[in-house]
Amino acid sequence: MSPIFSRRRLLQTGLAATAALTLFPLAAQARRLRIGITLHPYYSYVSNIVGDLADVVPLIPAGFNPHAYEPRAEDIKRIGGLDVVVLNGIGHDDFAERMIAASSKPKMPVIEANAQVPLLAAVGASANAGRSGKDNSGQVVNPHTFLSVAASIAQVNTIARELGKLDPANAEAYRTNARAYGQKLRKLRVDALAGLAEAPGRSLRVATIHGAYDYLLREFGLEVTAVVEPAHGIEPSPAQLKATIDQMRNLDVKVIFSEMDFPSAYVDTIRRETGVRLYALTHISYGDYTAQKFEQDTAKNLATVVRAIREAGQ
Amino acid sequence: MSVTTRIVRPAGAGHETLAVLAGCALILAIAGTVVTLRAAPAQSHAVAANQLDARRDLTAAEQGIYADLRIALDEIDAERAGQARLPAVAALADMGLPPFAQDASSAQRGAHAWTLVADGAAQAYLGLSADHTVAASVLLRVAAAAPAHDHGHADHAAESQPDIWMHRSVQAAPAALDDAQLARAGWRQVIARFDAGVTRQQR
Repeated sequence: MSPIFSRRRLLQTGLAATAALTLFPLAAQARRLRIGITLHPYYSYVSNIVGDLADVVPLIPAGFNPHAYEPRAEDIKRIGGLDVVVLNGIGHDDFAERMIAASSKPKMPVIEANAQVPLLAAVGASANAGRSGKDNSGQVVNPHTFLSVAASIAQVNTIARELGKLDPANAEAYRTNARAYGQKLRKLRVDALAGLAEAPGRSLRVATIHGAYDYLLREFGLEVTAVVEPAHGIEPSPAQLKATIDQMRNLDVKVIFSEMDFPSAYVDTIRRETGVRLYALTHISYGDYTAQKFEQDTAKNLATVVRAIREAGQ
Repeated sequence: MSVTTRIVRPAGAGHETLAVLAGCALILAIAGTVVTLRAAPAQSHAVAANQLDARRDLTAAEQGIYADLRIALDEIDAERAGQARLPAVAALADMGLPPFAQDASSAQRGAHAWTLVADGAAQAYLGLSADHTVAASVLLRVAAAAPAHDHGHADHAAESQPDIWMHRSVQAAPAALDDAQLARAGWRQVIARFDAGVTRQQR
């Protein structure tokens, strides 16, 4: 073997070793997904699906109202470090797509969490749009699927499936975690319903301030008779408020669900004028992002609905 | 001393009004043309005569049952783990799996009596409603099992529409479970569609 050949072999081996040492940590990092989310429930869903196997990154900082959020430069910059974004995608995080388009990764893959959820029409009164004639197309949908147990389990399954495609090495773990989390959520509903000796009955009519709880109330077989807000997140004018109060009187609404996180001054007016019982539900879109937030807040919401049904039956 | 008479035309007189109106008409014409040219055609999602739209054609109770059945199917697939035999209704109810579990919610939503029915190789869960004014009777047809570890197949099955049918007056199990026979007996297939937000810009 000539000395020149031997030196070249040595050089090649050295370069290959250096490349391997440099690339290995990168490859290890690439396997650990960084997953962006837009709303608090999605933080809980994804955290429970991935456990310690990936990082979950909120796109908007805690404390912002997602109904009125406008993207900020530092939030858009953070998107550059993500591998995938999980979207509500049906109207509650429309800001996300604009943020992704403006970021350094405009072609970022997204997961449509609601792809397998049977969606309801936008507002309670037009939920059966074909009959009310308000929105015959039914194309504007109610985006609050993240407030119900059934629709959340459907979303958790979809997210786990899609994450498994992006990260096949951990697909089985995601699937197992998703199923365990789904069972945990289902138990919340079983426990809540156990506190209800009998069905609420067809005469129980309910209204909501924000058109957010149709999916949740479907789980109890309840239909929302009236929604006070004329549009998503918009306060009613005095004339609209009067019309709603008249409607509630005519329809004999017994219970109204208001917002815990976004209180409105006019709610007291409605209670005073109609005499209905008022219960506050949480929109699960406020406070710190935690893995347990969704189940804790959902347990509270389910307990509130059960209490409302029980007290209405007395 | 000579008197000079000057006629001052009032502001906003004829020619100015005309110019302003012409300007308005031009702006409206341009805006109208742009809106007309850019308008996206309204997509119509027609459902066939033997189908029901999950969003528009179901009652609140039926919508709740339909949503529960879709996720129950994921659980049923996981439970059977590639076996041909489907889990018994009692086993699903014991798991607290809605809509099979008997609770205040199921009572409110039509108090369905669930049974497992079979027609040759085809199997289905049948829920006969106790009150058709609240909710229709429901049929969930379950496809043949995928091999235990074939998750690709399971994923594909999960991404397609679950096979759910409803009937608003039936009192007994259907004689056969194929599409044609069910449609002839008055069963209608429920379909749901996903709209990725009309408020959102499509990429």
